[in-house]
Parts: sequence; C-alpha cells; structure tokens
Amino acid sequence: MSAATDDIAETRGAASETVKANAEGAAVKRTLGIGFWIALIWLGIVFFAAAFAPWLPFKDPDANYIQRGERPPYPPSMAHPFGTDQDARDILARTAFGGRVSLTVGLVAIAMGMFFGGLMGILAGYFRGWWDRIFSFIFIILLSFPSLVLAILITSLLERSLRTISLTLGILTIAPVGRVARATTISFTEREFVLAARTLGAKNGRIIIRELLPNVVIPMSALALLGMGVAVVAEAGLAFLGLSVEKGPTWGKVILTGAGSRDLQKYPWIAIIPIVVLFFTVLALNFAGDRIRSYFDAKETAL
Amino acid sequence: MKQYWLQRLGAAIGLLLAVSALTFGAMNLLGDPLFNILGPTAASTTPEDLEIIAAAEAEYNLDDPLPVRYVKWASAFVTGDFGVQFSSDGQPPVSDLIKERLPRTLMLLIMAQTMAIMVAVPWALLAASKADKAVDKISTITAFLFIAVPNVGLAVILKYLFALKFSIFPLIYNASDPFWSRVWQMMLPAISLALPAAAIYQRLLRTDLITTLQEDYILTARSKGVSKRNVLFKHALRPSLFSFITIVGITTGALLGGSLIVEQVFIIPGLGSAIVEAILREDFPVVLAIVMIVTAAFVMINIIVDLIYSLIDPRVRTE
Amino acid sequence: MTARSSRSAKTISIAAMVSFSLVAAACGSDSDSSSSDEAPAATEAPAEDEAPAATEAPAEDEAPAEDEAPADTEAPAEDETEAVPTQGGTLRYGLEADVNGINPASSSLSSPGLMMANAVFDTLAAFTPDGTVVPYLAESVTPNETFDVWTVKLREGVTFHDGTPLNAEAVQVNFETQRNDPLVGLAVRPFFPAEGAIEILDDLTIQFNLIAGEGNAYLAGVFAGQLGMVASPTWLAATLEDPTLNQAPVGTGPFLFDSRSEDSITKFVRNDDWWGGDVYLDAVEFLPVTDPDTRNELLFNGEINALQTTNPASVGDLQDDDSIQNFIDENGEESFAMINTSVPPFDDIRAREALAQATPLQNYRDLIGLGIASDANQGFTEDSKYYNPDVVQQGDNPDRALELVAEYCAEKGTDINTVLGESAATCTDGKINIELQWSGPSVVQTRIAEILDEGWDNAGFNVTFDELPQDEHILQTAFAQYNVNTWRQFGATDPSGDNVWLLCRSISGISLNWPRLCDEERDALLLAAQLETDEAVRIGQYQELAQKVNDAFTYIFFTHTIWDNAFGEEVRGVCDRTNADGEPLLCATSGRTWFDSVYIAS
Repeated sequence: MSAATDDIAETRGAASETVKANAEGAAVKRTLGIGFWIALIWLGIVFFAAAFAPWLPFKDPDANYIQRGERPPYPPSMAHPFGTDQDARDILARTAFGGRVSLTVGLVAIAMGMFFGGLMGILAGYFRGWWDRIFSFIFIILLSFPSLVLAILITSLLERSLRTISLTLGILTIAPVGRVARATTISFTEREFVLAARTLGAKNGRIIIRELLPNVVIPMSALALLGMGVAVVAEAGLAFLGLSVEKGPTWGKVILTGAGSRDLQKYPWIAIIPIVVLFFTVLALNFAGDRIRSYFDAKETAL
Repeated sequence: MKQYWLQRLGAAIGLLLAVSALTFGAMNLLGDPLFNILGPTAASTTPEDLEIIAAAEAEYNLDDPLPVRYVKWASAFVTGDFGVQFSSDGQPPVSDLIKERLPRTLMLLIMAQTMAIMVAVPWALLAASKADKAVDKISTITAFLFIAVPNVGLAVILKYLFALKFSIFPLIYNASDPFWSRVWQMMLPAISLALPAAAIYQRLLRTDLITTLQEDYILTARSKGVSKRNVLFKHALRPSLFSFITIVGITTGALLGGSLIVEQVFIIPGLGSAIVEAILREDFPVVLAIVMIVTAAFVMINIIVDLIYSLIDPRVRTE
Repeated sequence: MTARSSRSAKTISIAAMVSFSLVAAACGSDSDSSSSDEAPAATEAPAEDEAPAATEAPAEDEAPAEDEAPADTEAPAEDETEAVPTQGGTLRYGLEADVNGINPASSSLSSPGLMMANAVFDTLAAFTPDGTVVPYLAESVTPNETFDVWTVKLREGVTFHDGTPLNAEAVQVNFETQRNDPLVGLAVRPFFPAEGAIEILDDLTIQFNLIAGEGNAYLAGVFAGQLGMVASPTWLAATLEDPTLNQAPVGTGPFLFDSRSEDSITKFVRNDDWWGGDVYLDAVEFLPVTDPDTRNELLFNGEINALQTTNPASVGDLQDDDSIQNFIDENGEESFAMINTSVPPFDDIRAREALAQATPLQNYRDLIGLGIASDANQGFTEDSKYYNPDVVQQGDNPDRALELVAEYCAEKGTDINTVLGESAATCTDGKINIELQWSGPSVVQTRIAEILDEGWDNAGFNVTFDELPQDEHILQTAFAQYNVNTWRQFGATDPSGDNVWLLCRSISGISLNWPRLCDEERDALLLAAQLETDEAVRIGQYQELAQKVNDAFTYIFFTHTIWDNAFGEEVRGVCDRTNADGEPLLCATSGRTWFDSVYIAS
C-alpha cells in the first residue's frame, strides 16, 4: 500500500477524534475513560495470575483429578471453579498457567516488534532514501504473507518450543509496528522543532533519541497493545492447528480440548470459559490501545 | 504515471521472487527434502535403496546447490508446472489439488467479504448519521466486541449455537452437493469470517463519514435543503469509499489467514486446510504453490486497490 | 524403472502400510482423524481372520458372533426373517478415514478400505458367526493331513465385472501380485517357499503349498480375509502400470465401482449379474468423515444411514439412542503402548519394565476407555478360550518404576538414545530420556500422550513428544526409529494370524515385528500352535505365549478396541448373509460389514 494512503488514513484517524469533540457540541476534555481503567484492571488480574501461577493456590494444571465412580468432565464446582476438562484437569489452573505461555508470547512479540520494527521504522522515516527503500521492502514482504501461514510454516519446520513460537510471532509484529513508526517519524520530522534542532546543529542521533523517540513511542505503544492481542490470538490459532507449544497448557490448547462438536454440546464450559477469558483479555488490550491512541492523538492535534 | 506503474509492477515481481525464495529456502534448509520424497529409505544403505536415492536426487536436482534448485523450480513454476504432490498416492500434479480446493476457499472469501460489506455499509451510515447518540455508542461497543473476539472462538461458538444447538445450519460441507446447498453450508463459516471484518469496516467507514460530514460542501448542501439522507448517500459516502476500498483489499489477507482456522473448525476441504496439511507433511511443492498463489493474489489486490484509488483521487498518483 | 515409478511404488506401498496402520490406529481409541497411530491391523498376512479350517469348533473370537450382531439389533423388523426385502435405495456409509486405493493385492487395507473392498470383492472363503470357515467364492477349501498343502476348487461360471472369467489362473495372478508387492508381500513371503508355492491342477482348481513342515491348520481363515479377495487379473496388471486405477477396483462382488467424487465420496452400484444371488440396494456410497463427533451427528440427522466408529464416547452415544442399530465387536485389536527394543534405553528390560510400572493405566482406562472399551492385559479378551487369567498388565506402580530407573541409570546412564540425537544420553539427572511418538494431528492422541506423560514424568522419565503425520509415523516405526509409541494390534480371528507381528523372521530393514524382539522359544511356540489341532494343547500354548509376551515388556496393554457398526432403523438385512450352501455368515467384524443382503425398508 502506498505511503500516501497510509498518511491520509492516519490523519483522518486523528481528525476524527477532534471532530468527535465538535460533533458533541462542545470541547470535551479527553480522558482515558472508565472503560480504560476497567480494561487495565482485568489485564492486571490476568497478568498477575499468570505471572505468579506457580505460587498461587491453583491446582496442578496437568494432573488428572479423577473422582473414581464419576466420569469426567466435571462441571464448575467448589473444588474446580472453572470445572475440569474430559481428562479431569482443572480448567482454572490450566487457564492461569496457559496465560503464562500466551502472555509471554504476546510480550515477546511486541517487544520484538517495538524494538526491531521501531528501529527500522524510525531509521527509514528519518533518513529516507536507501534506508527507506530497504526497510519498506522488508515490511512489505512480511506483510504479504498471510501471517498465519508464515507462522505455521516456521513452527512446523522448527521445534515447537515457547522460544520458536514467540520469535515467529515477534517477526510478524515487526512490519505493522515498523510502518507506524515510519509514518509517525515522517510526520514529525517535518515539524518545526526538528528543523529547529537541526539548524541549531544537533546531530542526527541526538535528534532521533531526544526529539523523535518519545513522540514515536506513543503511537507505537498503542499499536503494540493491539499487536499483543493479535499475537495471543495467533497463538490460539496455532494451537488449534496443533502447532503450539509442545508441552503444557496454552489458551489455544485449552480451547481446542473442548471444541469438538460433541464436547461442545454436552460440556460447553470446557471451551467456552477459556474463550471468554481470551476474549476479554484481547478486548481489554484492544480497548486500552485504542484509548491511548485517541488520547494522545487528541493532545497532538490540540497543539 | 507510467513510471509509477512500471515501478509498482517491478516491485510486485520483486516481492513475489523474495517470498518464493524465502519459502523455498526455508523448506529446503529446515526440512529434509530427501526424506519427504522417499521416507526412511533416504537413510537406508542397501544397494537397491541407494539406487533409488540416486534416481530421486537426479530427478529433483538435489545435488545442485540451493540457488540452482530454486531457479529450476521457479522456471518450471512460471510455465504452470507446479510439480507433483509428494505425499499423495500416485503423486498427482499439484495443479489438480489447487483446482479442486481453490474454488471452495474462493467461495468462502467472496461470501465473507460480500456479507461484511453488506453489513458494514448500512451500519456505518446509521452510526455516522446518529453520531454519539445511544445507537452509535452501542454500535461502537458491538464493533469492538467483534474485533476482539478471536477467529477460533467465534467459529467454535457459532458452530455450537447455530449448527448444533439450534440446528439452523448444516454441520458439514459436502463438495458434491449442488451449488446452492453448498452456499448454505458455507454460510456459517462465512459469517465467522465476516463479522470481525464487518466490524473493522464499520469503524473505519463511520470515522471517515463523520470527517467528511464536517466538510464545508456538506454544510452548503444541507443549507440548500438537500435531505440528510441524500447528503449521506450522495455526497458523504463517495469520498469515504477510498480508504474503505483500501481496507477491504488489505483485509482480504487477514481473511485468508482466518479461513485456515475456519476451514479446520467447519471441516471444509479448501485451500486453507490444504496448506496446513501440506506443511505438516512437508509437501514442498504444494506449500510453495499455495504460498505463491496467495501472495500473487495479495499483490494483485493491492495493485488494483491502488489503481482504483489513483483513478478516483488524483492527489495520490505520485509516490 | 525410472526414479519416479520406483519411488511411487515405494511410496504407495509405504503409504499403504501407513494407511493400514492408520486405519488400525484410527480404529483405536477415538479415531479422530485418520491419525491415531496404532498398528496396522493384522496386515492380512497370515491374515486377519483365521479360523480353524475344516474342523475346529467355533472359536468365540469371531467378533460379532457372540457379542452382538443379531442379538444387538433393536429394530423390531430386523428379527423377522420373513420380511420381504425391498429393492432399491442408496446406502450412505460414514467411514473413519479416506481410502486412497482399494487393491487387496497391493494396498494394506485398513477398516475403511476393507469395508469398501467388501462391496466389490468376494473372498474365497468366509467365516460363520461361530468362527468356522466355510467356502464362499470357492466351492471347497481342503487341506492335506499335514496342513501344508491346501487345495481350492473354484465355482464355475463366475466372471469379474470387466468380463474376465474367474479361474485358477486368475487366483494365481492374485497370489503372485500379493507376494511381489513390497509391503503386502512381507506378510506372505515368510510362509511360502520361493519356488512352487502355487500349482494349477485344472481350470478351476488351484493348490497352495506352504513351506514343507510348517503347516497351518488355520490357513482357511486367510482365505476369508484380505488375501482371499480375488481381483480381476486384467485390472491387477493395469494397476501396475497406472496406480491411480487402484481407486477403481474390479472384482466379482455384488457391487461395481461407479465413481469417486472430489471429496472422496466413492460410489458403487448394483451388480445385476452377481453369482451369489439377488442384490437389493441400488448403490452404496462411502463418505469419509474423520471427526467421530461429526460422523455421529450425520447418522443422528439421517444424512447417512450407517457408520463405523471405535471412539468409546461415540459408541456410548450410539448405544444410548434407541433408533440406532448397533453391531458391536470387541474381539478385535488391543490398544497399547509399544516399545522398541533395538535402541537404548529400551534394549534393557529394566527400562522397559520401569516404563510399564510408571504407566497410569487406571487413568487411561477411565479417561479414554470410559468403561466402554474394556481393559486389556493381553491379546485375548476374557471371553476368548485362549485367555490366560494369570497374566497381569504391570502398571500404576511409580515406586517400583523409580527403583528400576535408578538401577538402570546407575549402570547404563551414558548409553546413547539415537532416537533423540547422535549424542543424547539415556539418562539425565537420574531420569531416563525417551521420546513418545504418535500420529496426529489428533485431539485424542494428544490427550493420550498427555495422560501418559503425566504418569511417566512423575516416575523417572523425561518424555519428549513427537507428533508426526501418519505416513511418517508408520514409516519410522517400521524402521525402528522410535522409543515408545501408541499402537493397536492383535486383531486376528484366529491367533495364528497375528504371528507375523511376533516372529523373528519378520525383522529386517523394515520389520513387521515392530518392537524387534526376537525370542526363538517364542517362535517355536507360535509355529507349533499354528499346526496344533488338539484344542486343549493349543490353549495351553497360547496361554504360555501370553505370559511370555507379558514378561518381555514390549507392550503395555490398555484396552480392547471396541468397534461399532451403527445403522439407522430403516436399514435391514445386515446379518442375513449366507453362502451358496445356505450357511449363515459373519456379518460384522472389526468395523466392517457386508452389503449383499442389505436393503432399505420403505
């Protein structure tokens, strides 16, 4: 897609927010909103449960808690708040421990995206010329693969470890983040304060780090949150195709366990509960990312 | 102008080359082509098997260095020779598989895009015309929900609700059924793909519409007495269509990825499931063929979108 | 032969072996997709079903016999043998997996394949519900005194669907094709001499000569299985040139091949000139549905009329539905974990026993068997006359496992487990490193792996998972590139049919003796038992055999495979098969049924 259409879309996006303010008839002070904080609380809970899962009072996610005489799966109860799956494994524990994998994958993905994508995007946007040609070309190649196909290709050829999957999804995050970084850098580079800095004789490196970076990081972060949601969903997709991490629960694997027609009909909680957790997490990430973007966009155009 | 299109074409070809080279390289370096063709015989040392190995190496140019093999493969590919399916009995040509599977995925994608557009446009018009009122707020939330829900989850839930619990839609896809039966069988899978796409389109179109509605000429038209509805349809919709078309083109890629999942959930023998199976079996020719087809499709769609864009909006003609 | 055709031949035979195994696997617990590893169900070789040739009393082991068939039928009309069969209708049958080629002489046919073969081919002999073997396509099947020369007299006036006449030469072509096939031949060659295995006595009489001195009193059973199916020699010759013809089989059976649609729906239409009498159905259509849940749904909705399944959960649902007729067979294969003894650590029996003791048998049986597939500890069911009640499958004993692991690691911890890598030690930090292999993707197989891992990991093993596409899985097993995998086997009607999986002579580059354990004493027992006509002695021999197998710790038995052929209530006549002399025949075994007597009530 041409850069021009990118830029126009970006500007339109920004304009919409200020326009919204006008449509409401009065200049509304932009806040992050209550929804943002709810989303943040949910994310906090999920991250906390995932990060400290081994020390929290969850059951063993792989153990089979069979009650002889009563065939699993067991519906939600005091002993198993989310119920168990067909192999009598506690779903709450599997969701918590599964979160460790899914969220790690998401975090690594955006870290890679922001670092490499950001680096390539800023360099491309600031220096233009050959930097731009090469990096943009790389971005386009990465974007031309349907991402899931690329992910499947790589994970099937290499071992199915947490590392491989995180790196693969990380590679896929580079291009989207990079492009935003590039577009934002371009629009900022033409601003007066950068020109001013240049005239004052500041070296490129200094300009990049002190002037551009702080400003570019923000839209990148918003996108990164969205990207994390995408990575988590992508892992679920891979798990559904049987290509996620070899051992241990992940959200995708937990969903897959309950997704057969028969199991879905008779024991819906096995798939539906993890789907709900996944859904709210992605929703929270998307929402938070979106709020951040519009908050900072509005501030920008207010300049 | 011509410069621009030549450049685009060049870039497109370059892209296809890069993608194919990467995929070819990955499969050959990370996988084991000899094993995929011959199975464990590849590791055997009996004289009879060694002959078979030598013959296979000759046939598939396995002795040549990687770049040479790539060139040979590429030149065959370009002339329509996609090779044979390594992992199928009798090794039928890859093009057979493609011919069989592509129409189904195409049908799925076309149905999904059509439904998404048909839902998104009126939805966006409604939301834009009632911006920030209750209707709009509800539709924003709904859109968010559909964007956030993962393909996997949505497909599974839809299948549970509408194919199992309420038996509205049939459970499986049957390729030998008549056309309209097949369309009905594809409805649920297409809906799973269409809903998130519709939400994305709606969000974008609504934003664009609102922006356009702020333009001066709209104000002029209204003051001249043109009805709100006419203003919306005739004056606001057209300019907003630019980015809409762009996003529709781009989303096709995401839809294709989504179709991999949907085809698994609803057990549809399309291109998506073909490539998943081929990758698992390391059936190189099939993987390469499908990747190339998909990439070529993307590139074409992008070019078409840019073409439409440039025809409509002269500002965009130069990079 | 160019590289391509030789490769294709190999690929086909290997694929056949694979599909065979697959089928076997698929037949296993929860056939999810055509994966589920498992072993090739008796590669037909000495065959699947071997029943005492002429004499022997009914062995119970012929599945449907006792346990289900007529008894199980719920539909009232079924029991009325007076009901007049209606002509017409198409039977739609849901299969577990897709079948790529139906050639009894060169495809290792799994249950779906054998089912389709039942429509198109006739076997020389057939089983009765009590397990005896009676002639079917042949007029008579007669052994000599030492059971190493068998004379088969064919029926007159039978032609194949393509007009070729059925005669001794045709049967010879079938035999030779089987023997020369790289895969199917593995099951034939060990038992026949290189020269003189076949003699044509006259146009309709053919003589089979086994290796002198190694008679098999139960060989007639072979003629009732895959190896007894007679295909048109003209067609056989054509398939050697063009393997895609395997999809369009030509036999003598009640139905002819009609078409195969894009999605592998294979259709057969009535053969009006069938030698065996009237055929009622207009057509039979086979539809592969790899997901067991979906297959059940289709039957409940009436979109198909019949299905086969081995998924215990599905079987339970089918049995709960009053409008479904169920034909259950539990006397076929067993599901087990299989251990490769040719690679460390499992070349040492202590490591093998440790694995067995560490296995969470009760969990597997509860979660996968669901009380529907019964527990197994040997290759015979409890109803079988050969059952040895003293054999106990060791397991659920993590303490004993840990002891053995410690002992093994102390002594051999530095051996190399080549399956894991060139320099992979067998022990790390006091735990034995192994790889569990299975065929996937399959939700059930993954569950099984996780259940096993949970037990093994807590009792001294570090388990690496290796999920492979079916074909590769079977190949790697055949070439002994595995430590332990999940498999299915031992479904022969007569136990001598399972010899090929246990004999020393099966071990070579490709080994049908998958664990590659060679026990000369065991071999002697096997060969003696196949010749033994005194039931009491034979029972003693097989009981001793079961104990030997148990002592070797090459198999960790889980459950008996349960097969269910389920029909909608409109389907009749499934068990009305008879041969030309009016003898009622076995109608459902190991997931397959026949079609000559079936009709759809209007």
